[in-house]
Amino acid sequence: MLPPFLLQWFNIKGMKQIFLACSLFLSILGSSNPVETGHAKASLITNIQDSQQESFYVGVRLEMQEGWHTYWENPGDSGSPFEAKWNVAQGVIVENVEWPTPVTIPYPPLMTFGYEGDVVFPFKVFRAIDADLSSISVDFDFLICADICIPETASLTLDLSSATPNILLDEAIQNLPTEFIQTQSIVEDGNLKTTFKSSQPISSAYLFPRQDNLFTYTPTQELVNLGNNSYEITLPVLNDEAAFISGILSINGEGFQIEEELESASGMSLWQAILFALIGGLILNLMPCVFPVISLKVLSFVSMGGDDNSKIRNHALSFVGGVMSTFLSIATALIIIRSTGSMIGWGYQLQSPVVVGILTLIMLGIGLILLTNINFAAGLTTLGSSVQSRNDYSGSFFTGVLAVVVASPCTAPFMGAAIGYALLQPSFATLPIFLALGLGFAGPYLLLALKPEWISALPQPGAWMETLKQFFAFPMIATALWLMWVFMVQTSGDALILLLLLGLILGIAIWMIATFKGRWKWIGMLATLLAAVQVFNNLPENTIGMVADSSAEQWSLDIESDLQAQDQAYLINFTAAWCITCQTNEKTAFARDKVKEYLAEQNITYIKADWTNRNEEIAIGLARYERTGIPLYIFWKPGMLGSKILPAVLTEDLLIKAMQ
Amino acid sequence: MKIFITLVATLSISSFTYAADIKLQNPSINEKAPNFVAVDSYGKSIQLSDLKGSPVILEWTNHDCPYVARHYNENNMQSIQKMAHDAGVIWLSIISSTPGDQGHISPEKANTLTDSRGASPTHVLLDESGEVGMLYGAKTTPHMYMIDANGILRYKGAIDDIGRGMQFFNASFDKAINYVSSQMDQLIANQSLTINSTTAYGCSVKYNYD
Repeated sequence: MLPPFLLQWFNIKGMKQIFLACSLFLSILGSSNPVETGHAKASLITNIQDSQQESFYVGVRLEMQEGWHTYWENPGDSGSPFEAKWNVAQGVIVENVEWPTPVTIPYPPLMTFGYEGDVVFPFKVFRAIDADLSSISVDFDFLICADICIPETASLTLDLSSATPNILLDEAIQNLPTEFIQTQSIVEDGNLKTTFKSSQPISSAYLFPRQDNLFTYTPTQELVNLGNNSYEITLPVLNDEAAFISGILSINGEGFQIEEELESASGMSLWQAILFALIGGLILNLMPCVFPVISLKVLSFVSMGGDDNSKIRNHALSFVGGVMSTFLSIATALIIIRSTGSMIGWGYQLQSPVVVGILTLIMLGIGLILLTNINFAAGLTTLGSSVQSRNDYSGSFFTGVLAVVVASPCTAPFMGAAIGYALLQPSFATLPIFLALGLGFAGPYLLLALKPEWISALPQPGAWMETLKQFFAFPMIATALWLMWVFMVQTSGDALILLLLLGLILGIAIWMIATFKGRWKWIGMLATLLAAVQVFNNLPENTIGMVADSSAEQWSLDIESDLQAQDQAYLINFTAAWCITCQTNEKTAFARDKVKEYLAEQNITYIKADWTNRNEEIAIGLARYERTGIPLYIFWKPGMLGSKILPAVLTEDLLIKAMQ
Repeated sequence: MKIFITLVATLSISSFTYAADIKLQNPSINEKAPNFVAVDSYGKSIQLSDLKGSPVILEWTNHDCPYVARHYNENNMQSIQKMAHDAGVIWLSIISSTPGDQGHISPEKANTLTDSRGASPTHVLLDESGEVGMLYGAKTTPHMYMIDANGILRYKGAIDDIGRGMQFFNASFDKAINYVSSQMDQLIANQSLTINSTTAYGCSVKYNYD
């Protein structure tokens, strides 16, 4: 029998070691399930229904003793999230944990975030159909704390081929905070103020920030009812560098995801954004989708050489007017759409197959008109020779409109940053930036309006112009072909056939206009319109994305933080079928062998985010970089403080250099 | 429902204690470090402003915290303390645990621990009330602060870059970047440090919250 003081000493000093030793001993024995770790019982559960399932969940269940807790991914002022090391058969992939909604565990003046009692951590599993399911095991290391903290460990193994689905896991998945809630946040007087809507009466709310070292974790967060189901929650900012808030908003214990750009944190000033918009607009003239239309405009100016200056000036001004009013309309439309709370971006209209279909027909129509040399006078547009014969400036105006419409799939360098700023700032900043963009785009023609005599510096007009004009039909038709591909990606092969039929009817209509006289020559056009309305009204839902790229990983919102945590270098390609700049870069850089070899050699994970169809998460991902449009290329490797944005126009050498 | 009840419960408890106005301060980097007076394990009163002329390193500690224990068991903390000692830097180990909580020890026990672990702090300060801890916003053990010879706060945060996460218990201290030892030269030169603020990791400081 030991003397009492020794026994006591042994109890206090030795208990932890004994627990640790026991759990270690158990884990060495392996294949236990459940395992007593000291202050919790850990078990591995699953919801797999049958052995043919390709994706299902496994869960680590922790039944903690009364008064003990473990931590969320951001543990708060102290503590640590758990670490799970999986051991699975070939062809089985276990994803990162999907964190349940945490609770506040206050130790005033400190605050920690985590879980108490009985908690299940769900992990999604993907498996190849021939993969062996007989055993899946995990080394689960976690910190469990009451007043004191103890690192504990559980080595768990589960035979999935004979496991029965556990309802607790399904409940845990059901309660996961997967839904995003719309918020509007600003940083004001050292506080983050986040506004959100809730139709339920709120008895408690807490915003758990996912990021470390940006906010002060207070025991309670001030909640103000703004009326009209709107609430404002306040948390003190620790660090002015907070550029976005990512976290979980717990309302009455139910969790919602939050991802938002912080308004005051923009690195760009309004003037800088306007300057970028001007430069971007100017460069936009040279982008592949605009070039044919612009060339035609230049041609029509060439044909005006020798005309009197006031006429040239008026045509140039009409064109500028067309460009500016279109940009103004786009800006207004964007402001209105944004006020409804949707995430929007440049080129987003091309996420609608109807818009893509209409653009296809416009491009095709222009191509046919150029080839057949018919004169639409004051109609759709006036391209080329007819302009100088009449004092009809509406043609120039509509060419301006058309140039902007066809420019929409393009993003020029500088433009992405400027538009990103415009759309994330309050409305008063949106208009000037879009006007600057228009001004930059129309800049050369504005110069021409000021100095019409400069036109004589261009080549003399002549028969060559007619030939060149006809030739320009082909870039237009090529653009139409590309749009058809986009349309097919967004809809289906059947819908594409319908679009091609519309093209045929349009061709006939144009031929009728060119060949026949009198009023009824327009019947073909009317038929095209009716048929188009019919087709576009009955389009199937767009569900599929671009053809899967086997060399690229699927993008997700957490992928960057996950890879950075693993010290894994990565390259992210935000792209879409409708983004022609993206597609050009795809061909000139990403698809090249040299680039592929470099990525493999340097062990850089290549990730693709496909925005061909509407996708709120990708819009949020772009917003992190203060962008609303694509292309956007992101690169990071260990040693870099933050990821960097690569140029919008890439070649293989440029891309490789940017990664060195 | 259970989560809901715990949330409501924890919120109401916390709002109650919040009324007692316990609040962590957050001293600014490259500004004057807040002055304090505390009693060391020999009963001597130590005032920060009296130490001017020498750089000072503050180490929040709790010998039973597994994070602290690993730093001491593998001689990591001692080697930095020795480095500071040899360079003429004053090292204050501060215990802010409240009586009855983990890490709270008698002055005698503090001295025994210093001897048995081969540690070389200039003083071990017993901050039972947690006053000094809250003045500096100390959250974890360990939590490190570096003050230069002019009394300017140059660093607050983690001891090294291993950081939060269970990897701490397997990570090698040799491969880690130690923010304190690697920046001691800059501190002695009274310069602003390359890395001056990080997130501290470890056990929570056991303040008196009941």
